[in-house]
Amino acid sequence: MTPLLELQDLGVTYRTADGDLEAVRGVDLTLQPGETLGVAGESGSGKSTVAASVLRLLPKSAKVTGNVLLDGQDVGAMRWGTLRAARWSEASVVFQGAMHALNPVQRVGKQIAEPIRLHTAASEAEIDSRVRELLDQVDLPAAKARAYPHELSGGQKQRVMIAMALACDPRLVIADEPTTALDVIVQAQVLDLLGRLVEQRGIGLVFITHDLSVLASTCSRIAVMYRGRIVESGDAKEVITAPRHEHTAALAAAFPEVGDAGSRYAPATARPLPDEGERDPQQPVLLSARDLRVHFRDRTGSTVAAVNGVELDVRRDEIVALVGQSGSGKTTLARTLLGLQRPTSGAVYYDGEPLPVSTSGLRDYRRRVQLVLQDPSSALNPRHTVYESVAEGPRIHRLDGDERDLVVSALEAAELRPAEQYLTRLPHELSGGQRQRVVIAGALALNPSVLVADEPVASLDASVRGEILGLLLRLRRQLGVAGLVITHDLGLAWNIADRVAVMYRGELVEVGAVEQVLLEPRHDYTKALLAALPSAGRDDARYAG
Amino acid sequence: MSAPVWQRRRAAAADVWRQFRTNRGALFGAAFIALLVLFSLIAPLLIDRDGLEVVTAAGGSLEPPSGEYWLGTDESGRSVMLLTLWGARVSLLVGFAATLLSVVVGTLVGVVSAHFGGWISAVLMRITDFFLVLPALVLAAVLMAVLPKSMWTVIMAIGVTSWPTTARLVRAQTLSVESRPYIERSKALGGGHTHVIGKHVLPSVLPLVFANTTLVVGGSIIAESTLAFLGMSGPEISWGSMLDRANQSGAVTAGAWWYLLPPGIAIVLVVLSFTLVGRGLETVLNPRLKGER
Repeated sequence: MTPLLELQDLGVTYRTADGDLEAVRGVDLTLQPGETLGVAGESGSGKSTVAASVLRLLPKSAKVTGNVLLDGQDVGAMRWGTLRAARWSEASVVFQGAMHALNPVQRVGKQIAEPIRLHTAASEAEIDSRVRELLDQVDLPAAKARAYPHELSGGQKQRVMIAMALACDPRLVIADEPTTALDVIVQAQVLDLLGRLVEQRGIGLVFITHDLSVLASTCSRIAVMYRGRIVESGDAKEVITAPRHEHTAALAAAFPEVGDAGSRYAPATARPLPDEGERDPQQPVLLSARDLRVHFRDRTGSTVAAVNGVELDVRRDEIVALVGQSGSGKTTLARTLLGLQRPTSGAVYYDGEPLPVSTSGLRDYRRRVQLVLQDPSSALNPRHTVYESVAEGPRIHRLDGDERDLVVSALEAAELRPAEQYLTRLPHELSGGQRQRVVIAGALALNPSVLVADEPVASLDASVRGEILGLLLRLRRQLGVAGLVITHDLGLAWNIADRVAVMYRGELVEVGAVEQVLLEPRHDYTKALLAALPSAGRDDARYAG
Repeated sequence: MSAPVWQRRRAAAADVWRQFRTNRGALFGAAFIALLVLFSLIAPLLIDRDGLEVVTAAGGSLEPPSGEYWLGTDESGRSVMLLTLWGARVSLLVGFAATLLSVVVGTLVGVVSAHFGGWISAVLMRITDFFLVLPALVLAAVLMAVLPKSMWTVIMAIGVTSWPTTARLVRAQTLSVESRPYIERSKALGGGHTHVIGKHVLPSVLPLVFANTTLVVGGSIIAESTLAFLGMSGPEISWGSMLDRANQSGAVTAGAWWYLLPPGIAIVLVVLSFTLVGRGLETVLNPRLKGER
């Protein structure tokens, strides 16, 4: 049988101002109809370049070597007209970032119909019924065809993207990070949908992602890419449970299984963790929220309760994970705790004292409670060197002592060693993980007692994730720095947190020790979150802790 | 510690200059402006003031160009060439001073309105709107009527009517900078308003303001010429006032082209130079305008 897709010794080189950049080298892949192939890798590993080369969607600066055979036909040798016909009717793409890939001023029905209009001579009535059929396949009501993209949720938009990809009955669908921006619950729905389509219609699916656990539950085979090459490929279960290449092992370890005793208090970090000392269970409460409410007025003028009566304590020497899906009010709660947002009612206490309202009082408070933001590439001023960024806090507070010593010791504490080497660097010269360490160093320079981290690893690569989590855990064990880590990732909570607070629609629905909440959830929402986690096929290890 | 900062700034400036140099028109404009500024500064040393005074001027009335008077004379017998050269001083001074006024006011209003938001922004923006729709010439005419007739009144009149565009530009840029997460980080570190504005907002807004400034200078020089031509200026010799006198003394009907063309061409050249430099800088500093290469 002719394979649906065959890549033979594929190589892609980008011509840039700084010389040629080999993005993909010697990639061989085959995909049979009705099969799902997972391609995993970190950012810059070349996985999206491979996807784009299948339909020749690469920019002009790219030079392609080797062959791409689509149903036995060489895509590189196709004439423009043949290629145009092949796009979408033979093979189609589900792009990442559904929020940007849809035209905001067109109804989604029209956008789904666009490829049908381009590739067939169907009548208006036929197109209408086809759109309705497609929406039904992705579990959306037919009425949604008249909706504009902004009226749909993230998951619904992603489903519209999938409906678009299926519009011309392609035999091959390439899904490029289709669930990255989605919540776990929505992600589970989208994965389930893709799996069903492969099964029912016998299409071939290439699934590209950085999250190995997602691949485990959807794919039969997995290929792991690293620096433009495929370093490992084979049966999905085997690759994940018994990785042969160290990079695969790092990727697999980065997304721990909740319940796996081996990864409890053990993020995937190369540096050894200090031993847990004597822990006093009755540490004093540092930061607490009492009946905290924050209301916003939306565009129509009605009030929205982003934070609705939250009671939360963060003690010295503990890490609390605040878990919930996007829009649950996690970030608003964090900003209110930091005094960046004024509560509508209720109060925040630090060390038993209510949060000051005066400018100078708030400034003093900020020495105690510091913030680590989600995206380190935008959290640093691109014009400021590492030194200036870290020294910013001490300068604002006019801290005593030599400024240079403060900066160097903060960088050392954030494990940027030797610190001198980083002082004069600019953010764009650093990797994502190094940038996040600079942000953490900037917070540590003020010697805070509490770090509030808003999705500290969500925009970092898998291998860096474990290192940053390890750093947070080490800071707690060595310096007793308390942490409030906001995340949508339950694995993170399992990795480093002592207690979990689950937030749902502005309310904390469940608060308790990690083991108790994640292994014996009581609230329905926590159960739903846990059920939606993609299982990596290590079920036997589950609940063993 | 400031050494790497200055090194980097120097490198950035060198980079801007390298890109700027590839734009021929802008380079020509910059060279012309530099020459003219230099000449204006040393003009008192080169030009004999007697030739500019009506009572001491030696030539006849409206003489055509000759070996003695290369560009002829005006109705009082003064050399038109000397007048044109001298006029550059007032035109440039008014242009720069009015621009300084408008840019300072515009930047202040723009940054304050974007940074504080809320009712402060609402009030400031309504004031900006008011000045934006005010007919500049009418306001200038009123100011000239109320205040003493001098160059400084002209500067005031132009400055007061040209700051709203700068304010709008600066406000938009500030809003975009303030939405970046590093501003939030700075606030969380305890940074107050002056810290956020001085350390983060101004350094990223000023390059664009600078490019805008060069464009405003050209506009201010035209405004000055217009006001002077309409008789609303001080006693100083400027290109606008030369055109005004040429008009009133009947030089047009007498066919004395040498009296009209030099100040007119001078205005065109100077304004064109400033526009070329401004556009050139804007293309370098605002990558969005670069387009495909």
